[in-house]
Amino acid sequence: MKKSKLSIFAFSLAAALGVAACGGSDAASDTTSAPAETTAPAETTAPGPDYSNLKVAVVYIGVPGDAGYTYQHDQGIAGLEAALGIEVTRLENIPEGAESTATFDKLARDGYNLIFGTSFGYMDPMLETAGKYPNVCFQHGTGYKTAANLGTYFGAAEEARYLSGIAAGAATKNGKLGYVAAFPIPEVVRGINAFTLGVRSVNPKATVQVSWTSTWFDPAKEKEAAQSLLQAGADVLGMHQDSTATGEAAKEAGAKWVGYNSDTLAGNFPDTWLTAPIWDWAPYYTQAAMAVAGGSCPAGDAGQYYGNMKDGTVKLGVFGTSVSAETQALIATKAAAIIDGSFAPFTGPIKDNAGKEQIAAGVVAPLGDLLGQMYFVEGVIGSTKG
Amino acid sequence: MIVGKTRIQLEARLTSPRWLIVAVPVLSVLLASVVGGVFLLLTGHPPLRTYGDLLNNGYTSFYGLTDTLGLATPLICTGMAAAFAFRMNLYNIGQEGQLYLGMVGGAWAGIALAPHLTPFIAVPVVLVTGALFGAAWVLVPALLRARLGTSEIVSTLLLNYVALNLINYFIFGSRGFFRDPSTPFPQGRMIYESARFGAFGTTNTYPTLLISMFLAVFLFWFVRSSNYGYETSVFADSPSTARYAGMNSTWLTTSVLLVSGSLAGLGGAMYVVGPAGKVDPGLLQIGLGYAGIVVAALARYNFVAVILTAILFAGLRVGGSALQASSDPVPIAIAVVLQGAVLLFALGGELFRRNRVVITRVIESHQVMVGEVS
Repeated sequence: MKKSKLSIFAFSLAAALGVAACGGSDAASDTTSAPAETTAPAETTAPGPDYSNLKVAVVYIGVPGDAGYTYQHDQGIAGLEAALGIEVTRLENIPEGAESTATFDKLARDGYNLIFGTSFGYMDPMLETAGKYPNVCFQHGTGYKTAANLGTYFGAAEEARYLSGIAAGAATKNGKLGYVAAFPIPEVVRGINAFTLGVRSVNPKATVQVSWTSTWFDPAKEKEAAQSLLQAGADVLGMHQDSTATGEAAKEAGAKWVGYNSDTLAGNFPDTWLTAPIWDWAPYYTQAAMAVAGGSCPAGDAGQYYGNMKDGTVKLGVFGTSVSAETQALIATKAAAIIDGSFAPFTGPIKDNAGKEQIAAGVVAPLGDLLGQMYFVEGVIGSTKG
Repeated sequence: MIVGKTRIQLEARLTSPRWLIVAVPVLSVLLASVVGGVFLLLTGHPPLRTYGDLLNNGYTSFYGLTDTLGLATPLICTGMAAAFAFRMNLYNIGQEGQLYLGMVGGAWAGIALAPHLTPFIAVPVVLVTGALFGAAWVLVPALLRARLGTSEIVSTLLLNYVALNLINYFIFGSRGFFRDPSTPFPQGRMIYESARFGAFGTTNTYPTLLISMFLAVFLFWFVRSSNYGYETSVFADSPSTARYAGMNSTWLTTSVLLVSGSLAGLGGAMYVVGPAGKVDPGLLQIGLGYAGIVVAALARYNFVAVILTAILFAGLRVGGSALQASSDPVPIAIAVVLQGAVLLFALGGELFRRNRVVITRVIESHQVMVGEVS
């Protein structure tokens, strides 16, 4: 009896600590990472303004070792540090939800005047803390609630998603693509749609089958979903997850794939990597910090930062060797058009996958509609109900 | 274990001296601090300053303590849940799932029932509904155990994963009742304000803390003074004696597990009434259910001690993660090592409270000289 009791204690202890250690959805995965390029805005490198009044902290759901979502944010923070010559306090592995209020409260009490939170689930806690500490500037990534001292930031990944879809559409042989997706929320749905529009711009009959995983970060589950798509006949995969497990499954099957968040691991997939939509947060983080140093906080309705390819927040990662020069040239042309504003991926006519017209011919979908987009475009096989 | 000519053995104690009950935990924490200190030195962090920061952020500063008490509130519930079942040798390790179901039940009552209730009783209704949902989640494992002898360890554990997926479904997979209808973003629907408690001042401590503490004191008294408490103690020592004395083992097994589940469910409902106000998938990331098992074990299933060990555990969490923001930032991984060292040593210390170390010098093969070290 005593022995069995002890083993239960050991188990529960391990479980409790395990949850404490990797409670985030972006917990560490593969850390074999090469430094990604980080370009700090040139105008900030000139000596001049004093940023010593700035005290900046960032709260991560995971750890930068995930080589994905948190890694890219950390690169952006490093860009801020280099540009302004300050040090930023990083809090890693802070779980989402109501308990994180205590973390934001503490930072505000400790005199930080600019606090970033990178995960959606920090939204209500940051709103609450912002109410308690009106003199502190809060910036919340991926959320939609704002206040007098709370702004949001995110970006048009759909632009690069569309471009990556062109590479995928050119790579498929049988016209059947698969997409490993986390949760049926507008951000993910929009990405699947943009990817599919890109695919079908070069391969009008191609289809994209979606497999939901209900997790941001679970390499085993992601890989399983990828394998089932491959077994169903897909020969190119896309994904919206934090790990590169989809790529592992594709590599084993000899299929091509499109990554997301970061391209630091592209070298691990010499023959199968196509490209990836990636983030560069340095310009935004730097700009927000400079605003706060100047006495203003990007907040309220005007403080909803939505980066794009034009301002460099969203980029397309490196190309794999199998992407032809011709395809690369086509993508470069489209990218230039997106950046100069002459082309937008969500331009009508666009029908949903039940045949109903969602965007009329010639109409460019307004951002507000995109942010709430909850239908799949024609060519996607799957349901937005999960 | 034999070292040279000395044999070291553990021998069960029949009685534990009173001083040991205090000395073992104190020594355990001290030893853990020494081990953690070596670790801190090796990683280039001055141990004394780090421990000072940890204490300050987790326990001794006003806001550190109130943050800790806020986290401890549902943890006391899951700790009581584990203690209530474990003391009868019923290993309900499904507090995690029962906690989630308590959150679901509480949110349901806070949305569906609260508008029809006066504010005065809205909060109690939410809490009781959460407790009932928690109990319902352990009903099947309880009946299987009581009727068929099926291991409740496996069944309660597996239901944790079902509960986890259920919450994910409610928030991410469906457009149903628990989801905020005003936005396409995956958010829980807020319960009515009348069914919520505000925090004390600008702290993160809620009045639900007092309910948790009151219940712990009540259960401490109840298991010692009531007939039911007596029967469960007899049953824990010897199920056959209990049956011989005419006690109903099916009833005892089922009811103990249901009470255990309801205590965990209450913790989930407190999360709704207090800080969350909705079905919040963030609860899935902090492991308060599993932590409750550690809290109960540290407290040796003593309900009043559960209050203290829950505060100890919560403070290590709060103080540990705050170390990342101290003047000498300590990475979260090291903070988790420190937490682990304290908990592991405290649990390991139990071994020496329950057993004494007997050192025997082997002189010849048949003659032994006995010396004793407590």
